[in-house]
Amino acid sequence: MKQVLIYICSVIFLLLLWEVASITINTINSGPVLPGPYEALSQVVKNGAELQRHFLASAWRLVMAMLIALVAAVPLGLVIGHERSVDTFVSPMIYIMYPIPQVALILFLFLIFGTGSATKVAIVAMVLFFQVLVSARGAAKNISEEHLVSVLSAGANRWQVYRHVIFPATLPGILTSVRVGIGVGIAFLYIAETNTAQGMGLGSFIKRYMLFGRDRAFAGIIAMAFLGLVLYVGIDILERILCRWKYVKR
Amino acid sequence: MIEVDNLTIDYGSSDRKLRAVEGVSFRLGQSESLGFIGPSGCGKTTLLFALSGLLTPSEGSVRIGKEQVAGPRRNVALILQNAGLLPWKTVWQNANLSLILSGDYPAHNAQDILEELGLRNVKSRFPAELSEGMKRRVGIARALSISPSVLLMDEPLASLDTLTREKIQDLFLTLWKDRGFTLILVTHDIEEAAFLGQEIIVLTEKPARIKARVANREVGSLDYRQSEAFDRTVCRLREELER
Repeated sequence: MKQVLIYICSVIFLLLLWEVASITINTINSGPVLPGPYEALSQVVKNGAELQRHFLASAWRLVMAMLIALVAAVPLGLVIGHERSVDTFVSPMIYIMYPIPQVALILFLFLIFGTGSATKVAIVAMVLFFQVLVSARGAAKNISEEHLVSVLSAGANRWQVYRHVIFPATLPGILTSVRVGIGVGIAFLYIAETNTAQGMGLGSFIKRYMLFGRDRAFAGIIAMAFLGLVLYVGIDILERILCRWKYVKR
Repeated sequence: MIEVDNLTIDYGSSDRKLRAVEGVSFRLGQSESLGFIGPSGCGKTTLLFALSGLLTPSEGSVRIGKEQVAGPRRNVALILQNAGLLPWKTVWQNANLSLILSGDYPAHNAQDILEELGLRNVKSRFPAELSEGMKRRVGIARALSISPSVLLMDEPLASLDTLTREKIQDLFLTLWKDRGFTLILVTHDIEEAAFLGQEIIVLTEKPARIKARVANREVGSLDYRQSEAFDRTVCRLREELER
């Protein structure tokens, strides 16, 4: 309950800041450039049904991308981090590919796979994949020797070492990388959705109204922020369930 | 029976070899106890890991019950410095870890062991919720869960306060006498070695070699700490370490 109240206070404070910024910018420009929170939130209510459809389309793409990235990157990252021979072979490839600005590859992906929903999911999954991969690898490298010896001395085989030590030990770090990845994922989803012709998704909605209906466009931005918030809270809840041991005290 | 012959352990590649243990030999019968004592970082833990099968000797051999040790064995339990508990597992899961890994879970005696060690009421707690003394007890419960014939202990009571340390030393002694396993203890605590080891081997600085063997056959009663024999052993060990 206390946590919910803090969230509400935080949102109210943010809206106040937005109102101040809107008044200041509009006064300097002598005209309506940045809509205030009231105008934007009114548009959220007015366009509720349409926004909901776009919200669900974007949410589905983002969640799918996160799942694909996790399923692909977590096992690979853990193996690279724990198995030295694999690390020696694979890490140079990661070092080369990770710094490539993935935004530069978006057009190629559209050219190769078309502009459908699957491509948008693939773009976001690609971005998240590297973030999760690098985090999982780093977390697997930092596992306490004592925990490994503990299960090895009890006769654990390789699979049991992963199951009982490496995966649970790295899970908090992996979830943190997903949390960080949500912001980047939403940014890339926006880019992917605005780079195609009219379609479903909050990016398309924002692009459609940005020039001649700025209040509406900001309603789309609010929906995107809400999408991020829902996912952040979801990951927090997931972490509290899966990593309960992190939150206990004597 | 444990037979160790000329045990030598090297780390690193052949051109940059670092010797951790050199030429250690001893024999230990069933239900006997042996302590290793030496300066910090001398190679005591490496020696114990070789006995547990976690490390392969570079030279020499380790035999338990006439079989060459070539990996962790189901009748050998190892208690680590900080009990080696997994923070994400509850007391119950940690105590039964060896059984879970071997597929023998649940064991009929698991509940009794927790009861005996005073852990029944905390079995669903995580290690972070326990005192240091309780954590060590969970480590002991894990070791006992497999009914070991050999118990290896790597500085099991390091960083505990004196009273808690003595209480758990008393517990080790009682368990050793009641259950009849062979006990090998590695420590840098002179009094701990003197209280638990029927024989104590003093090791040199790295690489660990045998510097002296101190017999301590009077070991076995809880009030041994108050005896003259205990004081004599402590003095002898101190002399050997300082020599």
